[in-house]
Amino acid sequence: MSRKSLKWLPALVVPAVIAVGVVSVPLQAGAAVDLPDKSANEVLQLVANSTEDSFSGTVSKTANLGLPAGLSTALSGTSGSVPRGTESMKGGATAGDALASGLEFLSGTHEARVFVSGPRNLRVQVKDQLAERKAVSNGTDAWFYDSETNVATHVAIPAEATSEVSEELQDATELATPAQVADRILDKLGDSTDFAVGTDARVAGRTVYELVLTPKATGTLAESVSIAVDSETGLPLQVSVAAAGQADPAIEVGFTSIDFSEPAADLFTFTPGDGVTVEELPLPTERPLDAAHPDLGIGEPVVTGAGWDAIVEVPAASALGELSANPLFEQVTTDVDGGRAFSTALVTVYFADDGRVLAGSVPLDRLQAAAN
Amino acid sequence: MSSAETATRRPSAGLALLGSELSVLFRRRRTWAMLAAVALIPILLAVALRLSSGTVEPGEGPPFLDRVTQNGLFVGFTAMVVAIPLFLPLTIGVVAGDTIAGEASLGTLRYLLVSPAGRIRLLLVKYAGAAAFCFVATLTLIVAGAVIGASLFPIGPVTLLSGDVISVPESAGRSVLVACYVSVSLLGLCAIGLFISTLTSVPVGAMAATVVVSVISQILGVLPQLSWLHPWLFTHYWLGFAGLLSQPLDASTFADNALLQGGYILVFGALAYGRFASKDILS
Repeated sequence: MSRKSLKWLPALVVPAVIAVGVVSVPLQAGAAVDLPDKSANEVLQLVANSTEDSFSGTVSKTANLGLPAGLSTALSGTSGSVPRGTESMKGGATAGDALASGLEFLSGTHEARVFVSGPRNLRVQVKDQLAERKAVSNGTDAWFYDSETNVATHVAIPAEATSEVSEELQDATELATPAQVADRILDKLGDSTDFAVGTDARVAGRTVYELVLTPKATGTLAESVSIAVDSETGLPLQVSVAAAGQADPAIEVGFTSIDFSEPAADLFTFTPGDGVTVEELPLPTERPLDAAHPDLGIGEPVVTGAGWDAIVEVPAASALGELSANPLFEQVTTDVDGGRAFSTALVTVYFADDGRVLAGSVPLDRLQAAAN
Repeated sequence: MSSAETATRRPSAGLALLGSELSVLFRRRRTWAMLAAVALIPILLAVALRLSSGTVEPGEGPPFLDRVTQNGLFVGFTAMVVAIPLFLPLTIGVVAGDTIAGEASLGTLRYLLVSPAGRIRLLLVKYAGAAAFCFVATLTLIVAGAVIGASLFPIGPVTLLSGDVISVPESAGRSVLVACYVSVSLLGLCAIGLFISTLTSVPVGAMAATVVVSVISQILGVLPQLSWLHPWLFTHYWLGFAGLLSQPLDASTFADNALLQGGYILVFGALAYGRFASKDILS
């Protein structure tokens, strides 16, 4: 009965067409891009030359840091994949929660809408499931709003601070021509880093040059940093950090869509509505740690080496005793020879038994060797 | 509903069939009972909140619950979030699962199919009826929420997820948008229900299977080990309407969701056609 089997034809054709579409549309978007060749220096000049300071777009961040299993479990509740309403089962707020929410941005995928207009106006909206966190700054006021707690935090920025910053910015931009900036970067980092231009590609629908920074030192955890630079405007559109021995980038932050038109001015002001709890926060002073916690007793950190394989050593401090008492600390660190270690794809932190803390983008044995 | 006009291939015949399908669907006591139950969700929620003395802390209970006592317009949103995982799929399962299997079990299917070209048309009409129910059900929920919210709580300008404040008429527009989003979200499930309904002549079986499919999809959607599969699940965007409650309005998930549901409609529509057109209609 071929007439009958013919009726099933659409059921075969439709999924096939959809499969072809699913495969071919991203392929077309990523079709080979061929831009005029540029040296690394020229790409750096392109970035320094960029005058684009008003745009809006969607930024996506993916992190595959290989965080310890305990930490991933602790964070999974805040990543938004768990249905709301079950979250209350996690229990009340603890110190661990605060630590976890701080670390949350280091794991998983986040998406944010970003609006920038000029050097002062900035609006970032981080999208969560049925919730949002927003930061707005317009040079005189900075607001942070969390829809989940319904709390708006306000920081008044004094006029001097703004003018200081903008003066510094002007100094930086006026003193150096793009070529000088490029030279300076190459000069400063050239000893430790190889600069190269990778394959041209497409990011957020725009053609980009790929600037690849590779460490000259061997044995670092960070393998390379790639920066995608818009071929037209010179705006960096994507940064991704590759870790040794890992196929997926350890961190990738980039635009998934971008629009270079001027965002509406009213996006950069914020008026809290009725029922929103408003908290005033004083502007952080230059040394907030010293002022707020004079008895913290953390000594000056010592940096050994320069460039990618530098190791930072913090002398023994009483404050770290409190940290190690936190149950989450036990969970995320592993017991190693002479202390405890926290390792991720990019950074290793070694807590020696004598209280010193060593950190660097190097394997654990290098930290242990440096500690002895 | 059994119309001799289907024998002729005039477009008005399809419209007449659709009209009779809709009038049968919305004259059923079962449909009214389900719509009443849908409307009861925001009403129960609002009454319980009004009668309880304790205040709701932000982040406690379902989303937006703490906002309801300040602004009654949030009742609809909270009720929507509560109804999406199980209750709305349940009502859609009942309607979509009944489409073909219900006629088959009553023995009226063959009268509907007197003309040879009638099968595609019947499938389309049945699907359109179930899709119309999706829209009516979500609108019922939002409207019931707005009415009960306005009568029990103060109403005023609404603070969106981004902290921006919009006026009451604009928030009504957003409510309708959310209802449309949720209705579109359910269209994929509707198509799955239509396909399952062509497989059997036992309507209860098709209804239960449709609901089970939606539950399984949601369970798969929370397993982090299957994260590669998540964007392909028809339930993936079900709670993704935060962009509609943000300023500026972010319609990107609306478009993604519509595309995904469109894919499901095409695939399961084609499967339903394959099964229904090649099937021997005995009842």
